[in-house]
Amino acid sequence: MRYTHILAPIFGALSILAAWQFLLPLSGVPAYIAPTPTKIIAVFFTQTDLILSNFLPTATEAVAGFFFGNLAAVMFAILFAYARFIRMAYFPVVLFFNTIPILALSPIIILIFGLGMTPKIIIAAIICFFPTLVNMIRGLASASPNEEELFRMLSATKFETFLRLHLPRSLPMLFSSLRIATATAVIGAIVGEWIGADKGLGALIIQATFNYQSDKLYAAIVASSSLSIALFALVALIEARVMRGWAR
Amino acid sequence: MSVTAVDARRLQIGYRNGRDSTTVLSDVDLTVPQGEFLTILGPSGCGKSTLLRVVANLLDPLGGQITVLGDAPEAARRARKTGFVFQDATLLPWRTVVQNIRLPAVVGGRQARALPESRISNAMELLGLSGLEDRYPSQLSGGQRQRVAIARALIDEPEILLMDEPFGALDEITRDRLNDELLSIWRETGMTILFVTHSIEEAVYLGQRIIVLAANPGRILNIHDLRPIKTDDNACQREDAAIVAEIAAQRRLLAEAS
Ligand SMILES: Nc1ncnc2c1ncn2[C@@H]1O[C@H](COP(=O)(O)OP(=O)(O)OP(=O)(O)O)[C@@H](O)[C@H]1O
Ligand SMILES: [Mg+2]
Repeated sequence: MRYTHILAPIFGALSILAAWQFLLPLSGVPAYIAPTPTKIIAVFFTQTDLILSNFLPTATEAVAGFFFGNLAAVMFAILFAYARFIRMAYFPVVLFFNTIPILALSPIIILIFGLGMTPKIIIAAIICFFPTLVNMIRGLASASPNEEELFRMLSATKFETFLRLHLPRSLPMLFSSLRIATATAVIGAIVGEWIGADKGLGALIIQATFNYQSDKLYAAIVASSSLSIALFALVALIEARVMRGWAR
Repeated sequence: MSVTAVDARRLQIGYRNGRDSTTVLSDVDLTVPQGEFLTILGPSGCGKSTLLRVVANLLDPLGGQITVLGDAPEAARRARKTGFVFQDATLLPWRTVVQNIRLPAVVGGRQARALPESRISNAMELLGLSGLEDRYPSQLSGGQRQRVAIARALIDEPEILLMDEPFGALDEITRDRLNDELLSIWRETGMTILFVTHSIEEAVYLGQRIIVLAANPGRILNIHDLRPIKTDDNACQREDAAIVAEIAAQRRLLAEAS
């Protein structure tokens, strides 16, 4: 019974796929709305080049957006956490910026940066930015009063307290935000591609929809969620490595 | 040895809240000679931790005078002459046992880095932690965690050790053992210990003198000398009639005051 926690979800997924495979033809739903799982899988084998040539740009944009968006968020969080005046002056601006819907912002970014990868990276970075910023600011302030007093007893400098206490203390909150950002970075890249691109999974989704190619559409969906899952797994792996030994 | 460890005159202790302040303890007059083991006893919320925090320079007094080793509390803290042990051990969960003990050598600017490595192994040995070097705090028992916290405070070789209910969360068997180990460390090092507890037995067993605090209004209720009922090196038997009678007397005193 040791593997039940792995086998149970696999069984759950397979049973749903099997039901989908065998009940769909009986239900009378036309194939251009919902293809069977085998037809979706077939796309990956018969049109490998098409999937791959659209997967790679999206993956690049999502990973780059994830990296730059979260990096900027961490740096701004540190700035805001330690420079009181800058926080008071600019945090409201960031708050306001966050209320602009990304769908309204994206066309402007495309107008400025054209149709290449840059605007998609920027859009992906922007939607990763705010949640990580907020989490990281809270994380940097999450040391207990006793921990703060311990560092004060040792006459630790501000920088030492940041490096040895506040930064490690912020890691749990940073990582929980990074995990969520793996999915939002992919969403950002795809949204960017919807608005203006001729390649990428977002572009493939639009093309397949307008051409009633449901197998390609679903294959693009599977590819994009695989991308999110792979990024998520990578972050979880790094988190486990960095935080080994920590109490939960 | 001529300077006193802690000298307080008409000390007002409390918390500032902007322009307001709440007084927790007033008119604290206290002289602690160097090398004394002093226990501080009192009901919850009477200001035991607050008093220690003023001695440690984690909190400024509202009024009155206090010197620590003949100097301002801040000077004693900056020179690492005062050490602090918290009730919850306050170990950093991302550092192993040996990394936690080494913390005073890692932070605190120039003077910290001059600590010889031998102090760390000595402290580990003294507290019976050998073999646990690479464990994380989450892999330790409560008693082991508290030993690590004490070892960390000792590597600076402070002249005054401030302990805020260090064994309050431990079971009685572990607590009694750590009491005895603390006494032998105290005898060996000759440091001054200010030890806060809410256990009357612990206060009587450990202390050469007890300060009993009372709440509402917060004040020193009584300072009691225990040396007449103990041997010269502050040893006693828990079952000794004089000790049992002393515990009963302190219990009565505290009950009457509240
Ligand atoms: N940061 C603070 N600001 C204002 N008041 C405080 C603060 N910390 C503690 N107090 C108050 O000061 C009083 C004394 O608190 P203190 O922690 O010193 O009590 P204590 O004797 O250590 O109690 P315990 O045995 O429960 O630890 C309490 O009434 C408490 O409410
Ligand atoms: Mg307390």
